[in-house]
Amino acid sequence: MLAATSSSVPMSAVNRGPSDAPPVLRVDGVRKSYRNLEAIRNVSLDVGESEFVSVLGPSGCGKSTLLMMVAGVVDPSAGEISINGSAVIGPRPEIGVVFQQPVLLPWRTVLDNVLFPIELLKLPRAKYRPRAMELLAMAKIDDFANHLPRQLSGGMRQRASICRALIHDPSILLMDEPFSALDAITRDEMGVELLRIWQANRKTVIFVTHSIREAAFLSDRVLVMGRRPATIIEEVKIGLPRPRELAMMESEPFNQYVRRLRKSIEASHAQ
Amino acid sequence: MPSRWRQPLAELGWPIGIGIALLMLWEIAVRTLGIRSIILPPPSEIIAAIIARRELLLTHLWPSLYLTVLGFALSVVGGILVAVLITYSSILRRSFYPIIVVSQVVPKISIAPLFIVWFGTGTMSSLLLAFLIAFFPMTINSALGFQSIDEDIHRMARTFMGSRWQIFWKIRMPNALPYIFSGMKISITLAIIGVIVSEFVASQEGIGYLIKLAGGLLDTPLMMAAITVLSISGLALYGLIAVAEQRSVYWQSSSDVSGSAGG
Repeated sequence: MLAATSSSVPMSAVNRGPSDAPPVLRVDGVRKSYRNLEAIRNVSLDVGESEFVSVLGPSGCGKSTLLMMVAGVVDPSAGEISINGSAVIGPRPEIGVVFQQPVLLPWRTVLDNVLFPIELLKLPRAKYRPRAMELLAMAKIDDFANHLPRQLSGGMRQRASICRALIHDPSILLMDEPFSALDAITRDEMGVELLRIWQANRKTVIFVTHSIREAAFLSDRVLVMGRRPATIIEEVKIGLPRPRELAMMESEPFNQYVRRLRKSIEASHAQ
Repeated sequence: MPSRWRQPLAELGWPIGIGIALLMLWEIAVRTLGIRSIILPPPSEIIAAIIARRELLLTHLWPSLYLTVLGFALSVVGGILVAVLITYSSILRRSFYPIIVVSQVVPKISIAPLFIVWFGTGTMSSLLLAFLIAFFPMTINSALGFQSIDEDIHRMARTFMGSRWQIFWKIRMPNALPYIFSGMKISITLAIIGVIVSEFVASQEGIGYLIKLAGGLLDTPLMMAAITVLSISGLALYGLIAVAEQRSVYWQSSSDVSGSAGG
């Protein structure tokens, strides 16, 4: 049933989240085709509570589509996705999404952008305002709460969009290549920041990326996706200690993981 | 003074200076060449006429302005409503949109005599002509604004469970505001044209009537005075909209979106 179980790499034999706990997210035999084009073929995965899982694959392999299906805005052609045991049939409040672009509303201040999901969910704005300020402080942009997005740098905007995704206290955070529009230096910093925020909130994170180093640095587990039609070809558990620091990117264990992931991706290309 | 005003004011210096120079050149040329004021009165005489006949001018200005603003307001409301319908109904969009666009081939001013036949020589004809001319750019610009929302923003709102209603009021509407204001700036000038033309054709009052009357009497200074007063009023109305735009579209400079459809 699980695509990754056929892999020869020993570590990939376990495709389940942290052992005993029931999965927060279960993707079971999901396919997606557009007319004749098969975008995703038979993807199954479980993600446990507070787990940080990356989906790593080349651009255009369908990993964003997978994420949008989990978010409930794209319907799978076959298979089932369930969150906390109930099937996903549309967008739901226990999910927060961070996109490739910050997609902030230009006419709203940073604070009002962060509170936007609260308005959409018809929750009391005043009650969530302190939480919004807390999140902004954690993302170190509370000084810019009353600024318009255009007055912020790209990295700051993306931080604001992470705060927005967390404002309604979702149990799952979906991130769709959130740092790919940023320069390399900002990108590394944002990774560290994200882990810090994650450490404090302990959300379940599904992080889609095409950066091998990013996936290895951030994750508990990396699922490697092959070319279209996409399916999960390997799973690698990242045993690096937490909290993780940028210096780890120089370490030998880290580079071993990077090599392993690269080999796995190259193998999928050779097919 | 907020800094965003300083720049536009500085930029106004040049056109104002050159405008004054041109007026002076006009004054000098008329006087030295001995042109009779029945052909071309000098600016000083026009100003004198404005002051001397201010009551007559105002009596005729008010009805014209009133109809202009009313026709404009109707075109804004109607244009936005039609734009919303076009945005949300693909049937309406596919059936009416081409008709609206093709109907623009008819020079609307040529309809003025027809309106007189239908609605008489009163205010109704002027109002309807102003509305008809101003309506099109309002509709096209608003429709463009409602439809131009970023696909990513739409998707973001959907993942956070935004309803169609919420997406309209919280995203489409503010997103369309700059476009709506561009439409309004085009529409207000067109509404003035509609009213004046209608008053030319048949009316017993209004600044258009006064211009025609003064022309018939060969009272060129009065005619020029009426044109001047009309132009200043038009500029003021345009200015009001521009100020409202600056206030409500605070997140971008007005030059970011320029008028996309003329009438």
